Amino acid sequence: MLIERLIEALGADAVKTSPEDLACYSFDAYSQGVLPSAVVLPTSAAQVSAVVKIARDLEEPLIARGSGTGLCGGATPLRAGVVLSFARMNQLLELDIENRRARVAPGLVNLQLSERIASTGYFYAPDPASQRASTIGGNIGTNAGGPHCLAYGTTVNHVLALEIVDERGECFTTAVEDLGYDLTALLVGSEGTLGIVTSAWVRLLRMPSTTGVWLAAFQSIESASEAVSAIVGAGIVPTALEMMDATIVRAVESAYAAGYPADAAAVLLVESSGEPEEVASADAAIARIARAHGATKWQAATSADQREALWRGRKGAAGAVGRIAPNYYTQDVCVPRTRLPEMLAAVDDAARKHGIVVGNVFHAGDGNLHPLLLYDKRDARQVAAVIEIGNLVLARAVELGGTISGEHGVGIEKRNGMSMVYSTEDLAAMACVRDVFDPQALLNPEKIFPSGISCREMRA
Amino acid sequence: MNDTAISDALAEASASRHPVTLRAGGVFSGMHRRVIDADEIDLRSRRAIFEYEPRDLTIAVECGLTGAQMEQTLREHRQFLPLDAPDASQASVGGILASAWSGPRRHRYGRPRDLLIGSSFALSDGTLARAGGMVVKNVAGYDLSRLFVGSMGTLAVLLRANFKTLPLPESARMFLAALPAGTRERAFAQVRNLRPEPAAAWWITGYEREVDGEPGDDGRIAILLECENALLERATLDWRATLGRAGIPETRLLDAGAHASFTRMLDAPMRLPGVHALSYRSPSLPSHALALADSLAEVVDRFEMQRDLLVDIMNGDVTIRAIGDAASFNQMSGMLDDALHDRAPRARILAGGGDGHDRLDCFGLLPNALAQMRALKARFDPHGILNPGIAFFDGRHT
Repeated sequence: MLIERLIEALGADAVKTSPEDLACYSFDAYSQGVLPSAVVLPTSAAQVSAVVKIARDLEEPLIARGSGTGLCGGATPLRAGVVLSFARMNQLLELDIENRRARVAPGLVNLQLSERIASTGYFYAPDPASQRASTIGGNIGTNAGGPHCLAYGTTVNHVLALEIVDERGECFTTAVEDLGYDLTALLVGSEGTLGIVTSAWVRLLRMPSTTGVWLAAFQSIESASEAVSAIVGAGIVPTALEMMDATIVRAVESAYAAGYPADAAAVLLVESSGEPEEVASADAAIARIARAHGATKWQAATSADQREALWRGRKGAAGAVGRIAPNYYTQDVCVPRTRLPEMLAAVDDAARKHGIVVGNVFHAGDGNLHPLLLYDKRDARQVAAVIEIGNLVLARAVELGGTISGEHGVGIEKRNGMSMVYSTEDLAAMACVRDVFDPQALLNPEKIFPSGISCREMRA
Repeated sequence: MNDTAISDALAEASASRHPVTLRAGGVFSGMHRRVIDADEIDLRSRRAIFEYEPRDLTIAVECGLTGAQMEQTLREHRQFLPLDAPDASQASVGGILASAWSGPRRHRYGRPRDLLIGSSFALSDGTLARAGGMVVKNVAGYDLSRLFVGSMGTLAVLLRANFKTLPLPESARMFLAALPAGTRERAFAQVRNLRPEPAAAWWITGYEREVDGEPGDDGRIAILLECENALLERATLDWRATLGRAGIPETRLLDAGAHASFTRMLDAPMRLPGVHALSYRSPSLPSHALALADSLAEVVDRFEMQRDLLVDIMNGDVTIRAIGDAASFNQMSGMLDDALHDRAPRARILAGGGDGHDRLDCFGLLPNALAQMRALKARFDPHGILNPGIAFFDGRHT
């Protein structure tokens, strides 16, 4: 019945049911789930609406999916249902440079937006590491960040308005300028559990006059992280402030020859944008702080090619790690910036105790860490150790006043970790929101919330 | 009142089904309807800095703290939070968030909601809860803190708000210029393309007592530059050259007085010269803002009232103030309100209207997601005790 109705509504070409097709949509970058009942490729909000109505009639779960690059299992089906792939809703729908905005379909790949408007002198700021593959719809689902959100903010700061199909299949819109509750902010980062985004107006920024990129090398990761705290503490907010440890530097140099000093224990990649005087001032101030914290090298990229090479190394770091270990697991936590040295020490300590190699590559300026735990999944001891280290990292981040997810989302992976950060009352308030938007819990079910959490009735 | 007292008061109100209303600075009270027959929860004494680590660039404050107190605290550490609230000595952080206030520097630094990273709050039954935290990136769960922005105190009582702060620019300079005839459109376009980008910029007619600048045949402009010291003089030369090409021969600069001048710009639309006046603000796209301003001016002229206009060049907001005479204002204000909303459906009253305020359409066009908002209201405040009738969430406003 489900398949027939979907085909009737969308046409056979838009409904995939072969085992091979279903298998492709049974996992994302985090985990393997179960085979969905069907995969649909809508081309319009009206088709999304039709799919939602059919699924609702038949009580089938709905899982919206961008490119499946999510690292927390947010797009993984857990009890069959219908996967909505936005691969065919990938257009730049409107470009309004005069008002510095664009309307995009959810399946538009993040980087393609900036590439397509590059000649206008504007760009779209959120730049998750996955931006060559991940979609803006998926980025909205997780409130994605990226290296440059240090200066520009995360996805929620760049979404101006949304068109949403709700759990009944009805369409509604929200806008930051709207009166009343900020539903736009609520929907960004809700991981497809409150509605399905069918288009978005996003903010465009003017390209800066000048951009400087520098690399600082340190003899220890502690001194590098203290330099980061000192830079931010001095009131300097570069456009990006990224850190890589020795494991990552060696992997990156081996893969890309990005120009990183292979003998460094830690490397900071710093970018500052603005007017030439501002960039020169940042150069002087940050170099001074870096040297005061033991930097052995302060190197400026003197050409666009050099800037690109330095960034290529950073953005390809996770891929490079694939060359030195059969498997790796990426953790994502965020702590107050002054607690970075303690957090890094905790990661190192946990990894050493469990005999696991760790590589750190992360958004240091935001306090957003991404320890990559290297392991071999054929070795049960290593798998268990990685799980244990991941939990220790989450716990320590919370102890230090941080959170269990800075930018990857909660999905399946961190559902139970939510109770580490929030009380039952906090989670029940969130569950009430879920209950309002999706009372049947058909939109991406079994994500975000720990089991047993539900919207309780307000006390009488 | 501390958290426990507020929680107890809400629990009691919920049990007795007796409405409560929230009292803070009262600066934004003209932007919504009055709540009648409700017990008052006074938040004005809740002004503590709860947590501030300057090296983290984050701060947590109680929601009764005023914008001015926030500014003073942060300035001591050469930081700031661009709340851009009018009447900052009275406007509370809670009021700024509850009214979704956003100012002219938002295109550059973000709105208050963009800098909000967490909150704690009391639900209608007195349950204490929180969302977000003290880190600048956090995607663990729904963003309830921002959901409450614009809620006008109808979903929960905001107790504390956590923000990320920004380094204070080293220099501020206000540029003031009278516009010669026929230069307005060119000036508007050139200001939007200035480098470095202005922190704020307005085109103004009227407001001659309240805000700085000499009137020109085509009105006047005020532009705020915020930057590092090293950039100040070069930027000034470049800006003056650019404005010169737009046909503006002279600009007057305010350095020591830049901040005070900026504050007067923020305050002007909320300050009314008596009860026979109304002030509106309408969002608009920057490309449509001047046309909208002209259209609204034509409406006010038709009613033979005095008018003042502020157009936010960078964001597109159009603010218009209409001042009538005692004899006819009450009779005309309803018709004026209708006529302005015909031209600017999303215009919202900022202040004024006198005794007739509650008969006016203070919100303009209601949001498309009204049903979703009302469902949230019903779930979070099932007995309708939080600020009943203040807005449209409980269905009393149609």
